[in-house]
Amino acid sequence: MLHSPVLPKAPLQPRGGLARIQRAAAWAVALFGLVLLAGCATPPANDPEALEAFNEANDPLEPMNRYFFELNYAADELLFKPLAGWYYVALPNFAQNGVRNVLRNVRSPIILANDLFQGETDRAGVTVSRFLVNSTMGLGGLFDIAARIGLDFHDEDFGQTLAVHGVGEGAYLVLPLLGPSNPRDAAGRVVDMLFDPLTYVGMFGGVDNIGLGTGLLEGVDTRARNLRTLDEVRKGSLDYYATIRSLYRQKRNDEINNGRTPEGGVGPGLGSSSDQQSARPATAAPLSTAQPAAEAPLVPRRPALAKALPFFIIKEPAGPLPATVDP
Amino acid sequence: MTATMRVIRTLLFALAVAVAAAPAGADDANPAASAFMQSLGSKAIKELTDPALPQAERQARFHALLDEHFDMAAIAKFTLGRYWRTATEEQRAEFRGLFEDFIVQSYSARFAEYHGEGFTVTGSSADNAGVVVHSKIDMPSSEDVRVDWHLHPAAGNSFAIADIVVEGVSMAVTQRSEFASVIQNRGGVAGLLDALRAKNAQSADSSGAAAQ
Repeated sequence: MLHSPVLPKAPLQPRGGLARIQRAAAWAVALFGLVLLAGCATPPANDPEALEAFNEANDPLEPMNRYFFELNYAADELLFKPLAGWYYVALPNFAQNGVRNVLRNVRSPIILANDLFQGETDRAGVTVSRFLVNSTMGLGGLFDIAARIGLDFHDEDFGQTLAVHGVGEGAYLVLPLLGPSNPRDAAGRVVDMLFDPLTYVGMFGGVDNIGLGTGLLEGVDTRARNLRTLDEVRKGSLDYYATIRSLYRQKRNDEINNGRTPEGGVGPGLGSSSDQQSARPATAAPLSTAQPAAEAPLVPRRPALAKALPFFIIKEPAGPLPATVDP
Repeated sequence: MTATMRVIRTLLFALAVAVAAAPAGADDANPAASAFMQSLGSKAIKELTDPALPQAERQARFHALLDEHFDMAAIAKFTLGRYWRTATEEQRAEFRGLFEDFIVQSYSARFAEYHGEGFTVTGSSADNAGVVVHSKIDMPSSEDVRVDWHLHPAAGNSFAIADIVVEGVSMAVTQRSEFASVIQNRGGVAGLLDALRAKNAQSADSSGAAAQ
């Protein structure tokens, strides 16, 4: 066998992790370029109602988003669904749970960092305990022992941290392969890579594409767990894209609020306003008096108004808000 | 087991106890509403989830349940959103009918897939429009699903469901968002009514074909 000539060993190149971040940055630039070229929707100029509806939907990039949405659907049909189906069939339930548990355990540093940035010390404590218990007694994270003693899993990411600190979500974005997102959450993903231990394993252990591998595994695992649900939703929808957009925003709202209901009992709004997603209800604050907005959008953007609105209110253009809708 | 391990275990246990003992907020502001939901849940499970039930029968029962226990008038008005004001009486009436059929078609198939997951009411709280009953559905393979039922007071000291919020996602808000998009993209309320008619016909065909 031919051996290569003996060369002095090259110093360890930061390949895996740094390359991941560079690729993410490249994606961001490419997306920005695409935005400039095409994919912007023109706001309806002559119809004030339509303009209001347009602003409320907060989806100025709708044509581009729909394009990527269809692209993702094709990728789903061609790649993720078959993989997920195989995964679902081939791996017994406990193995699938094992995969999920390990993935979650590895994510602990990211979750812990974001818990602390949000000032959630209780949840940070839970994250630490979970990591310790599951890594040791749970054999490297395979078994979720911590859940059995009352320490349930919760997820956090930097997008949520930004939201808690008042950063608005911005326009709706559909990212290729990654799916529904927005500028804040997309930026959050990149920051989270800094807290991901796998980034550094990739960098210094010389393992290429480790992020891609785990990302794919996570995607397949999630897809397998929702194998039929999404198909049913799609079949039953008039506008699947709009349904997913709304679902995503409401779910993000719920995640940012850590499952706590905003007081006032209003259903989560369309989530299109910066304030709605940044207002984290800490304790039961007194209901602020509703301020009728000048233009009467259906879902108001100011958090005080949102919290004061009872459920199912249809806002009339002027005057005080009626308390309930007459059937 | 070394002394260190014992100390760590005790600390972790203490932390676990502290976390578990934190007030869960499972108070019951409106026991009547909670009881209502618990019995409605059992009734729905009993009547709708039999896998041997023919699809038409299941849909008919679900339709009856909707009419009796849901505030369909309020829900229809909410999901049409801002366009309710500008819609004509006929459009509103037609929308109400089509919307109900749409809901029946979309959701009745899901009941057939029920596999005995437990439905437990965990408490209730008040909000501006009425009561919110909190419940959870125990999924066998994954974590419990939080479901909140927003109830309006109804005739006869009873309640009517105005919205269902699953893990923070409101069904009414999602539906309204979807309809708004259809209205904007397919030519107003008339376009929405056409789309609903077409979708209902399509669902009826496919469920009819499946039943054969």
